[in-house]
Amino acid sequence: MKFTVLYGTESGNSELIAEDVGDALRENHSEVEVFDLQDFDPASITPDNFYIVVCSTHGEGDLPNTAIPFAEAFEANPPAMEGVRYAMFGLGDTFYEETYSQGSEHIDRMFTAQGAKRVGEYGRHDASSWDLGSDLALEWLPGVLDAATIKA
Amino acid sequence: MVGVEDTQIAVIGSGPAGCYLTQSLLRALPNAQITVFDRLASPFGLIRYGIATDHQHTKAITRQFDRMFADPRVRFAGNVRIGEDIGLEDIQKNFDKVVLATGLTSDRKLSLPGDSLPGVYGAGEITRILNSHPGAPKTLPEFGKRTVIIGGGNVAIDLLRFLVKDEHGFEASDITDQVLEAYLANPVQHITLAQRSQPANSKADAQMLKELATLNRATYSTQNKLEATEDFDRAQAARVNAFAAMVQEDREITGGPDVELAFGHVPLRVLGETKVEGVEFAIGDDVVVIEADSVITAIGFNAMAEELADLTASPSESGRIAEGLYRTGWARRGPQGAIPENRACAKLVADEIVQDLQSDTADSASRLGFNGLPEPVKQQSISFADWQKIDEHEKATAPDGRVRMKVSDHLEMVTIAGKQN
Repeated sequence: MKFTVLYGTESGNSELIAEDVGDALRENHSEVEVFDLQDFDPASITPDNFYIVVCSTHGEGDLPNTAIPFAEAFEANPPAMEGVRYAMFGLGDTFYEETYSQGSEHIDRMFTAQGAKRVGEYGRHDASSWDLGSDLALEWLPGVLDAATIKA
Repeated sequence: MVGVEDTQIAVIGSGPAGCYLTQSLLRALPNAQITVFDRLASPFGLIRYGIATDHQHTKAITRQFDRMFADPRVRFAGNVRIGEDIGLEDIQKNFDKVVLATGLTSDRKLSLPGDSLPGVYGAGEITRILNSHPGAPKTLPEFGKRTVIIGGGNVAIDLLRFLVKDEHGFEASDITDQVLEAYLANPVQHITLAQRSQPANSKADAQMLKELATLNRATYSTQNKLEATEDFDRAQAARVNAFAAMVQEDREITGGPDVELAFGHVPLRVLGETKVEGVEFAIGDDVVVIEADSVITAIGFNAMAEELADLTASPSESGRIAEGLYRTGWARRGPQGAIPENRACAKLVADEIVQDLQSDTADSASRLGFNGLPEPVKQQSISFADWQKIDEHEKATAPDGRVRMKVSDHLEMVTIAGKQN
């Protein structure tokens, strides 16, 4: 199984988490790639890969900066995603209750609408908690891989 | 391409601009050795001293930078004042590339008649007092019964939030209790938040305004209509709706001052003989006077008057200043944008540095970096491990309801870090 870890970020937290998730995957898997969403072409999405999306929230529950070009390209030309499986890890801040972690949910809806299937628990990190996002993501990852019946 | 193997880079300033730049350089130049200087014994600059004490969630970004400083390629060199302890030229002799990430710390003045009267205070200065900055006074100035805040950006809102809150509003903050108690013994009763903008184009983030609406403090009023219209974009609509939530009459409050939200107010002069008595504003063709015992200006920041200030005084598209000398963050682009914007700014400047390294012809193998600095500078320099002693001390001595008690005396910080100044 090939892994593609995608991140959308404003402050860099999602990038760090994505890199750490990538490193953890590389311990047992040889084909792991990590991309900033702004450098990733939605047309290249394939059922051969398992996607892990790490994405933060900006402003009024909006996508972060680096996810915007991806979302625009995706919406301009939505790829068929039947058979594609993915996992989501969203970042947000419960200090802003109304919009907590909504940034990632935009991507989640886009993927689901195109026939992709989310696997495992929806991961969440809260900036107000002072937990290190990577710690939470690495605790979350094995459950996702189990649910996807891939050996971690 | 020469010197890329062990390029020595000096970053001057360890605030968000310097930290994001260091992250970018680590990615772009895997073999670079980076020394991050700071005039203070503590890292993180504006995150520690400019973000409001009750916004710890914003300060959590330091978790990311803690990790960066743990990288063996990065050295923190606190307690080193460039231009005082060591000249910029001496830094340049020892490093291949030098980047100024010194920010802008001086409150921009109104530049209007009366702007230096006693009773006119800068928001940055007050924020530093609340944050126990070692260079700031230990007590707040007297605000009197009536204060006018000039400006409507996030810094102004931070100050307004401080002025309206009671003692319950600082749970899990790191505010200095003596400062808070002194203010709450004699809080402001009438506040005017006066800004040039109309509500939709006010400079504050809607999230900051919603927070004020949610607090059970202060009675807000305004002369302006607060209705979102169709031509507003999402941010404008969110802002106007947040102002509308603030002035709603059914908010349940426990007290606090009356706050007038004054839009479209252009300040003309500060009135008063020996101290502030009021502020004169133009509203269109009309002139109004708002009585005040004090004025807080929150209209942006300038470079401090010091050696490096000239190099960062006016904004620039490029990070390049001169051969081998660069700038990033507010020192490059002026006082615009919040912490995360420094990340994109850092990428741009890091790209320029990488490009220049690739076309450099001079041999840089002889540059020693931190190790080449004069002995006294090396000895007084505070490492990240030294800083962690201060950090631990501050957390261990935190009173109830506070996440830390900041050491506000710089010599004491240095001593706790195990150094002599």
